[in-house]
Amino acid sequence: MSHFLSPVESTTIPILEKVVGFAQSRHTVLVGNLANSDTPGYQVRDLSRDTFQERLRELIETKNTPYASSAQRVDNYDSAMKEVKDSMKSILYHDKSDVGVEQQVLEISKNQTLHNMAIAIMQNQFQLLNVAISERI
Amino acid sequence: MLTAMDISTSGLIAQRTRLDTIASNIANMSTLRDENGEAQPYQSRHVIFQTTEDIGTSYGAVGVKVASVELDENEPIYRWQPNHPLAIKAGEKKGYVAYPNINLNQEFVDALNATRSYEANIGAIEISKDMGNQTLRIIA
Repeated sequence: MSHFLSPVESTTIPILEKVVGFAQSRHTVLVGNLANSDTPGYQVRDLSRDTFQERLRELIETKNTPYASSAQRVDNYDSAMKEVKDSMKSILYHDKSDVGVEQQVLEISKNQTLHNMAIAIMQNQFQLLNVAISERI
Repeated sequence: MLTAMDISTSGLIAQRTRLDTIASNIANMSTLRDENGEAQPYQSRHVIFQTTEDIGTSYGAVGVKVASVELDENEPIYRWQPNHPLAIKAGEKKGYVAYPNINLNQEFVDALNATRSYEANIGAIEISKDMGNQTLRIIA
């Protein structure tokens, strides 16, 4: 009955990986906004954080379902990310107006913090795994 | 991360091109002949940017490129210099010399704007580098 979980899957590393991936993708889009800050008629682009977090929540719930097989889980991972991508394409700010450089820089900075936080937690988890494997503190 | 740096670099190149045209406009503010030696007052140049999918990602990030460099078609400034070798010989402007009509205020404000945008892109590259380094530290 006990469901086998690989050491990595029993941690939050797979979820943190998604967060890091999303932060990097979003960073690329935000940097594009900055590069196009003097392009006439350019509309600010962004990836939806809400959509991503919604997908991530669904993903975590599926993951915690005991009977979900490993393959199913991988499937869900991919579909979750794909839907985020689809929703990204058409996302523009609702008022279709340009947003100032300051706001973009702020968003980039916040995104960077999220990214580095996820990586710090991931490092910590790897250290714990290391301790468990070596049976030494 | 590498695409992010490419996009920022495209921004740097675009802003530098803009600064090049501004430098050209200021340097040629008294130029009376064109590159073929014909008597033609210098016309100021202005860059137009456009987004480019060549540098970008499938989820909507785009780079920037210079779409065109447009010549400013505004009237030259006429100065009364009847003994000047390039003075207009006939017509109602007889005795006047046509000088480039360059708005220095506009050029300098444009230059400031371009410099700030350049700095913003440099800052973005620094952040991209930091995020890349952090990612590499996972396995360290």
